[in-house]
Amino acid sequence: MGLKKRTLNLILLNLLALLLLVFIVAPFLWVAIASFQGEVELLSRPPHLIPQNPTLDNYNYVFTGKIPEAYEVKGQLRSRISEDARKIAPALKNSFIVAGTIMVINLLIATPAAYTFARMSFKGKKPAYNFILASRLLPAMAIAIPYFIILQTLKLMDTYTGLILVHLVLTLPFTIWFLSLYIANIPREMEDAGMVDGCTPFQALVRIVVPMMIPGLIAAAAFAFMTSYNEFLFARFITQTIDTQTGPVIIASIAGNPDVSYTLISVCITLGLIPPLILAIVMRKYLTEGLSASITYR
Amino acid sequence: MAVGSSAAPSPVRGKRRLWDRLYPTLSIAIPFLVIAVFTLYPVLYAVRTSFYQYILTKPKVHPFVGLRNYQEVISNYYFTNSLTNTAIYTVAVVISVLIFGMVVALLLNTKVLFSHPLRIVILLPWAIPAVVAGLMWKWMLNSDFGLFNGFLYSLGLIRDYIPFFANPTLAKLSLIVAYVWKEGPLVAIFFVAGLQLIPNELYEAARIDGGGGWRLFRYVTLPLLRPIILIVMVYETMTAILVFDLIYVLTGGGPGDATAMISWFAYAEIFKFLNLGHGLALAIIIALITLALIILYLRLLHTEDTVS
Repeated sequence: MGLKKRTLNLILLNLLALLLLVFIVAPFLWVAIASFQGEVELLSRPPHLIPQNPTLDNYNYVFTGKIPEAYEVKGQLRSRISEDARKIAPALKNSFIVAGTIMVINLLIATPAAYTFARMSFKGKKPAYNFILASRLLPAMAIAIPYFIILQTLKLMDTYTGLILVHLVLTLPFTIWFLSLYIANIPREMEDAGMVDGCTPFQALVRIVVPMMIPGLIAAAAFAFMTSYNEFLFARFITQTIDTQTGPVIIASIAGNPDVSYTLISVCITLGLIPPLILAIVMRKYLTEGLSASITYR
Repeated sequence: MAVGSSAAPSPVRGKRRLWDRLYPTLSIAIPFLVIAVFTLYPVLYAVRTSFYQYILTKPKVHPFVGLRNYQEVISNYYFTNSLTNTAIYTVAVVISVLIFGMVVALLLNTKVLFSHPLRIVILLPWAIPAVVAGLMWKWMLNSDFGLFNGFLYSLGLIRDYIPFFANPTLAKLSLIVAYVWKEGPLVAIFFVAGLQLIPNELYEAARIDGGGGWRLFRYVTLPLLRPIILIVMVYETMTAILVFDLIYVLTGGGPGDATAMISWFAYAEIFKFLNLGHGLALAIIIALITLALIILYLRLLHTEDTVS
C-alpha cells in the first residue's frame, strides 16, 4: 500500500471515529447545556452551544423552589414552570433505595444458585435452569396486569417491597445465568483440593470460589443495579405516589406535560443521568469484560 | 480448613450436616420459587383472560368468548398496521444496529487516534434508562430548539426547523436513529469481544496470501464472527419487536399511527381502551411470535455447530 493511500485511509478512519464520537456524546452535552440556560435563550436560533448567560436558576428551582428570573421576565412563560420537576430529588432517592436493594439481594441469592447450577449435578437441574432463563422471554405486556393483581392481593402496590419483588424477578435470571457461566469457566482444582480437605460445597463457595470471581460479582452487581435503576414500565404502574416513584417514572411523567419547561426537564434528566454515567465510566473495565464474557463464554 | 475430618459427632456438626444437605436444594429453591410465582400465575392468567370478554369499564360481566378476542384483534386495522410497522422497524433497526456495531468494533480495534475517547464513551448510551434516551433524542430533534435542527440551520441547509415528529417517514427515521444510539453500543462491545477471539495468526497467514483490508474482513473476520453475529441478531430482533419505552416518550405512536408498534398496540388496548381480553390476546400473539423466532434461532445455531 502506498504511503499516500495509507495517510488518506488514516484520515478517513479518524474522521469516521470523530463523527461517531460526536453522535454518541452530542445528546448528553445538549441536555446538560440546556439545563444551564434560561428558557428564552434555549429557543434562540441558531442554538448557543456555550450558554451566553449560564445560570444555575433551574437547579436552584428544583432544589429550593425559587422561581428562575428568566420566567419572571416573560409573563406567559411562567405558566410553564413545572411543579413536578421538584420531585426529581426524592425520585432519585427512591431509585437508589430500590436499585441498591436489588443489587444486594441479587448477589446473595444468585451466587449460591449459580454455584449449584455450575458445579453440582442433581435431578431436574436442566429443566429448573431452563425455566429460570425462559421466564424472561415473556413480553412485559402479558405479565403487567397479572403482576398488578398479585401485588394488589399482597397489598404491595406503591411500596418499595412490591417494586423490589418485581425487579428481582426481572434481574435474577440474568444474574444466575451470568454467574453460572462465570463459575463454569473457573478451573475447579482449587475446590477439589478443598473438598479433599473436608470442605463442604458451601464452604468451598464462600472461601475458594467467591474470592476468585470478584470481577464477575462486580459486573453482575452493576448490571442488576442498572437494570433496576433504568426500568420504566413496571415502575410506572407499581409506584403511584412520590413515596416510591423512581427517576424514569418522574422524568417521563413531567415530559408528558405539553406545557412543560424544557430547561427544567433538562435539569431532571441531567441529575438522573449522573449515577449511571459515573457507574459506566468508573466500572467500564468490569462492565466491558462482563458483557464480553456473556457472549463468548460457553 | 480441615473442618469435617475430625471424628466425634456433636450437635454443632449435626446442624452443619443438615445445612450442607439442604444448602444445594435451598440455593436453587429460593430463586426458583420467586420466579415461578411470577411466571406461572401470569401465564395462566393471561391465557385464561384472553378467552373471556374482560373490559375494565364493565367490571361485572366476563362472558367466555372463546377465540373471539383473537379474531377481533387480528381483524383490527391497527393490528395489520402495527404488525407492518413492527416488521419494517425491526428489519431496519437490526440491520442498522449490526452495521453500527461492526463499524465501531472495527474502529475500536485499530490504533486510530479518536478510537480511544470513543472507547471511553461507547458504553454511556447503553447505561442509561431508555425513556431518558428517548427524551434526549426528542431534545436533539425538537422543532423549537433541537440541536440537530440548529446544526442544519447554521450550515444554511434549512431555512426553517424541521418538525421531525410531525412527518410519518421522519418520525420513523428518528425512532431508528434513537434506537441505534441506545442499542448499538452493546452490539459494538459484543463484536469487540468476538474480534478478540480471532487468533492473530489467521490474519498474518491471510496477509501472506495477499489479502488486504476488505478481503481480510470478508474471508477471515466475517466467517469467524458468524456465531456471535447470529446471537446478536436474534437478541436484537427480540428487543426491537418488544420496543416500548422509546416510543412512549419519543413519538407516542404518532404521528397518527406511523410509529405504533405491536407492543404499543397491546399497551393501548390494556391501558387506554381498558380491554384486557384484547390486550392479553395480543400479548400472547407477541409471545408466540418471539417463541417462533427463538426456535428458529436455536435451529440456526444448531446447524452452525454441526457444520463447524
